[in-house]
Amino acid sequence: MTTSRKISTAARSSEIWSISTDMDSDPEETDNTPLDQSFGKKKKRTIYTAGRPPWYDSEGQGKEAFVIGLAGGSASGKTTVAKKIIESLNVDWVGLLSMDSFYKVLTPEQHEAAARNAYDFDHPDAFDFELMATTLRNLKNGKRVDVPVYDFATHSRAKYSRTMYGANVILFEGILSLVNKELRELMDLRIFVDTDSDIRLARRLRRDIAERGRDLKGVLKQYNTYVKPAFQQYIEPSLQYAHIVVPRGGENTVAIQLIVQHVKDRLHQRGFDVRSKLLSEQASVDHDSLKILPETKQVCGMHTIIRNKDSNRDDFVFMTNRLACLVIEYSLSFLPFEDYTIDTPQGVPYNGKKFTGKLCGVTILRAGEVLEPALMSVCKDVTIGKILIQTNDQTENPELHFLRLPGDISSSHVILMDATVATGAAAIMAIRVLLDHDVPQERILFVSIIASKLGIQNVAYAFPQIKIITTALDPTVNDSYHILPGVGNYGDRYFGTGSSD
Amino acid sequence: MEQQEEEEECISSAETSPSLSPKNALLTMAGNMDEAYKSSILSFPNLKLLECHGQIRELQTIIRNKSTTRNEFIFCADRLIRIVVEQGLDCIPTYECTVTTPTGMKYTGVKFEKMTCAVSIVRSGEAMEKGMRDCFRSICIGKILIKRDTDTNVARVYYAKFPSKIEHRTVLLLYPVLETGATVKAAVKVLKDHGVQEKNIVFVNLFSSFKGVESLLKKYPEITMLTSEVHEFCPNHFGQKYFGVS
Repeated sequence: MTTSRKISTAARSSEIWSISTDMDSDPEETDNTPLDQSFGKKKKRTIYTAGRPPWYDSEGQGKEAFVIGLAGGSASGKTTVAKKIIESLNVDWVGLLSMDSFYKVLTPEQHEAAARNAYDFDHPDAFDFELMATTLRNLKNGKRVDVPVYDFATHSRAKYSRTMYGANVILFEGILSLVNKELRELMDLRIFVDTDSDIRLARRLRRDIAERGRDLKGVLKQYNTYVKPAFQQYIEPSLQYAHIVVPRGGENTVAIQLIVQHVKDRLHQRGFDVRSKLLSEQASVDHDSLKILPETKQVCGMHTIIRNKDSNRDDFVFMTNRLACLVIEYSLSFLPFEDYTIDTPQGVPYNGKKFTGKLCGVTILRAGEVLEPALMSVCKDVTIGKILIQTNDQTENPELHFLRLPGDISSSHVILMDATVATGAAAIMAIRVLLDHDVPQERILFVSIIASKLGIQNVAYAFPQIKIITTALDPTVNDSYHILPGVGNYGDRYFGTGSSD
Repeated sequence: MEQQEEEEECISSAETSPSLSPKNALLTMAGNMDEAYKSSILSFPNLKLLECHGQIRELQTIIRNKSTTRNEFIFCADRLIRIVVEQGLDCIPTYECTVTTPTGMKYTGVKFEKMTCAVSIVRSGEAMEKGMRDCFRSICIGKILIKRDTDTNVARVYYAKFPSKIEHRTVLLLYPVLETGATVKAAVKVLKDHGVQEKNIVFVNLFSSFKGVESLLKKYPEITMLTSEVHEFCPNHFGQKYFGVS
């Protein structure tokens, strides 16, 4: 019977999706955020939509996600209500966290009892509430969390965990989700799905017998021994903590629409328009964090070729690679090095230096990739994460679309790479992502080839402890966010995807 | 004009270099070296020392470490070479020029004079050619083969082949380790004999000794010398380890 239980929970695994994606996610997805994109075509170019808009203000400070708690008896329709809310919200980046992920690991004896239908999965003791609260709190604070994947076949946690990151709205569902005070305090909206117990029993009978091949007697026994007492003792009393009670579950479209409207209103109050704020904000900051590659004649000569609109792509790519090597080497000099004495073949000790920390690179797609070969050529085995950020044509705000980061990033020094910094909007988003993954500001080196004064000001103002490294500082940005005098679209020129090529 | 000739020449470096071959002599020399002497060497106007950041010191440490594998040695040597070569290329003369950027704005930059070439001293100088090509794809590269008799400390030029019109060019002379200075002085002399002006020679080097710098720059004060480190001891196993042949 254990395998059937596993199937039933596939629909309830914890995950994040953007609204336009299919609800059926792949339960085998093990690592980072599963994000599917819907495609749109514009001017012969494929563009991505459904990215995550800024979840922080123009100072880079994150706002808490909106948490909705969903409770109700077994087979009351919590999952249906959750899905309908997600569908109607029309908000990207909604996370669904299920209590089923937080079952405790069973001892061999308990595991055997579970096989005989003699383990109480409906009692609060069956859940790890401490881990649940920590996970939900971190998720609410915008942090990346690792949600355990519970294996019902062995009643233990799988070796891999599911990473959840980046939800503006979190739905937390489970039979006992309103029972625990700590969890309740994290919820901005608490919903109780109240379905008649006869209907719930009928659904449970149909589900367990038809879908899971169990016999009537066994199902009734489990219902009477565990499910019903747990409902009466724990679940039903938790109704008093609900803000809203939804009778009849998923069929109740009026109640769901009311909830959705409320959530939308609350989200609207938190809305951010980062780019226009960044463009207007002229807060002057001391650029202690800004480091510019010494402008030698060679650097100037490389810039002359890179900036010339008539340069051929061969020269452009060659000079970019050369400049990238220089700026990466220069960036590495800001890492902390320790004294290190070695023996030489000359028989005399030499007092040298050694970098003892860990290093990884993160590129902001697509233009950041122009710096990647340079990093790989000086640090042979460096791990490289990627972040895809695109500007939404309508709102002109940056949106996060894709993310794969090294697992040990929180203990590494991170070289964040982008070719150009215009307003700094994409950089701020990428840095916010790194901070959400517990990388301290002091360990981030943000490297670019050309930056505007405005962009540097914005990034340095939001994150004063980050080192910003570039090879040239340009005075202004035009209305279409291009740096002046600048280089044009760096990615298009480097990869040869511009309209003229 | 194509130069092809074999010169055999005897250069005595006795006037500036004490007898240097045994290690003991080096140690004695280091012991006698005071800070005033060191700073007098470092204040040669034409000596350009690479700004020493942690990551450059780390590269030097790995290159000098006797337990470094050859693979790691070559990788780090190539990295350091590239950094030094970029600095060396900075000595090429330039002229100002203005270009238009894709945004329609003007950008005032520089272009480099065409007459430049590199000359590597066989064998360890050839280790620097790859780094040179990585930065300047089409540069002409000449070669000089010099052998030094360790007993008599006499450097002999066996072979030299240079690009045409070398007398009009800026020459980047490549040699990674400057210990006594005898080899490099022999190379500079060959270049001068071919009409290259002393001020147009840029000596690109990784490691040098104080004595080597003193010996070279006192004899040829107009050349520009660029190095990553001036130290009492040189990693004189460089060429051997880079090419894997003693």
